Amino acid sequence: MRRKQILTMAWANMKQRRLRTSLTTLGVVIGITAVIGLASLGEGFRVTVTQRMEQGFELNVLTIIPGSLFAGLSRERFNDEHVQSISEINGIEIATQVMQIGNVTLHKGDKEVRAFVATAVNFTEFVQVFSDRFEFASVNGSPEQWKNNTIVIGYKVNHPNDTEIPFASAGNNVSMTYLKKMEQVLTPSGVKTTPIYETRNFTVSGTLQKKGTSGLTNFDYWIFIPLDTAREIYGPPYESDLIFVKVSNPDDSDRISENIEALFPPYRISILAPVTFIRQVDYILSLIQLFLTSIASISLLVAGIGIMNITTVSVMERTREIGIMKAIGAKNTTILTMFLAETALIGLLGGLIGVPTGYGLSYLLSIIISRFTMGQQQGTVFQNPETQHPMVTPIFSPTWAIGAMLFGIIICVLFGLYPARKAAKLNPVEALRYE
Amino acid sequence: MVYSMPVILEAKEVGKTYRMGKVQVSALRGITLEVEKGEFLAIFGPSGSGKSTLLHVLGGLDRPDKGNVFIDGINLSTLNDAKLAEVRLRKIGFVFQFFNLLPRLTALRNVELPLTLADVSEKESIQKATDILELVGLKDRINHRPTELSGGEQQRVAIARALINDPKIVLADEPTGNLDTTTGWEIVRLMKRLNEEKGQTFVIVTHDQSVAETANRMIYLKDGVVHGVKKGSGSVRL
Repeated sequence: MRRKQILTMAWANMKQRRLRTSLTTLGVVIGITAVIGLASLGEGFRVTVTQRMEQGFELNVLTIIPGSLFAGLSRERFNDEHVQSISEINGIEIATQVMQIGNVTLHKGDKEVRAFVATAVNFTEFVQVFSDRFEFASVNGSPEQWKNNTIVIGYKVNHPNDTEIPFASAGNNVSMTYLKKMEQVLTPSGVKTTPIYETRNFTVSGTLQKKGTSGLTNFDYWIFIPLDTAREIYGPPYESDLIFVKVSNPDDSDRISENIEALFPPYRISILAPVTFIRQVDYILSLIQLFLTSIASISLLVAGIGIMNITTVSVMERTREIGIMKAIGAKNTTILTMFLAETALIGLLGGLIGVPTGYGLSYLLSIIISRFTMGQQQGTVFQNPETQHPMVTPIFSPTWAIGAMLFGIIICVLFGLYPARKAAKLNPVEALRYE
Repeated sequence: MVYSMPVILEAKEVGKTYRMGKVQVSALRGITLEVEKGEFLAIFGPSGSGKSTLLHVLGGLDRPDKGNVFIDGINLSTLNDAKLAEVRLRKIGFVFQFFNLLPRLTALRNVELPLTLADVSEKESIQKATDILELVGLKDRINHRPTELSGGEQQRVAIARALINDPKIVLADEPTGNLDTTTGWEIVRLMKRLNEEKGQTFVIVTHDQSVAETANRMIYLKDGVVHGVKKGSGSVRL
């Protein structure tokens, strides 16, 4: 049968029963609306979170830490040879090692501030790795010029309790008290371990501006001293606690991580790669999006049952017409196609209306969500940095739109199949006799 | 009379049994007949004689339990449903007592429907449908729907639809049964004219003896058995 004529007749039949067609289509519209609404919102949510995380992390910095989560955090130490072999890996711009000194106190005159950790770094290399994060409130010269016994102070250390006046500025002299070693002393009650503290004078070469958390670290709480000074204090063997690696292309992170891991015995180190982490989060969010959309698509199944119901009624009403069609030479497949064309058209119509309304629904939902959560979720990734309002913009995905429409049409055709087959298999003589 | 025309429809020992509730009803009991090209054959008999069942079986609309039907040399019992539909489409035209037009389609679209099924282009099929509607005298009614047409007009549309695919044979089931006498005779005259002018073969089923008399040949059917064959007048009284 001519395809155009099948569609024309299907359309004419649908128009004839306008109310019935509208109600059936409405079911499909609601299903598609729910699917597209949740999919668009989910997509927006996923992309927003991923983008904010990408902004928050230095994507091109990998952190190598000792030990592994599953084998226990061993005190694996890094040395110059490790750093050297890591730097030689293709795709690495620079690798720099860091030594951490716990619980230090800075003194200036009668003023005193405490820092959770003092970090001994090679300033020239370190500033290259974290170039974006070194913004100075005050500075003397440039990192390459800083010699032994100089110090850089993070914002929160320099402004304890957010005081206006800084503890120190570039050029000031400060002294630092730190734990030199644990000494075991024999006392009458047994061997006692006593911490031995030492104080050393430093010149402040820079103070940092407030930066906040970036990725895994917050330099506001850190102070920095030259690695050479730390080595002078603690002597050989010259070992360090962390290695930061700057890669040319964050997308190479996986390959580079593997290359680094190959340099160490198994399970002795872990590598934190922001790209890998973000990819995991992105994957989890995609799964949640898929899950929500699957739940929404249940409403499409309900619409499908509506289609089945209405097609069954339609087949009964048109039994005689089916008989006539068969008498004049329509094949079973033609009858089948005639009914399926109608259900497919309902699916198409439902999709054409449902996709835009679904997208509208996702906007509405995003506004409602932002109204309800305003002012509650401080500092999370869902906030617009300027307005502090939670903000997730729904994203219209043509893939989802086409997918939802196809799914709608397929559902309609599948549910129409049973009654349409019944119509196709009617005995023509009995159908003609049907009143 | 010397049979010089080829046989285009042949039934051999055709039997058909219906089950009406718990009772088996033998509608046809071994019917054998032949229809020649260009013939106007009437199957005549009281109601319940199996006339309509015979017509359905002859036209491939129903399958016999016994015996074979040949149309244009094709044994219908060898065909599957799709092939049988193809035979109904290309070789048979049906005319029914209750017209059986599709109510939502205009006269033109109703007549055109078989061509649509045969995948003929829209332009060609509309031209052909218009011509045939003109032939049956409905030139100015082509865009009317069945509800806007009189019974006689509807039956003319049905005849036009039966003719549109140039069938080997037109099977008419009580074509005058739902019409008043005058209109009924108009329909009979139309069919006779098509038979005489175009050589169109007709088999009509009727319980009206005067209608049957107009045929070249009458087959008298009773209780599913052929009780007699006789020559009709072959002409319509005015």
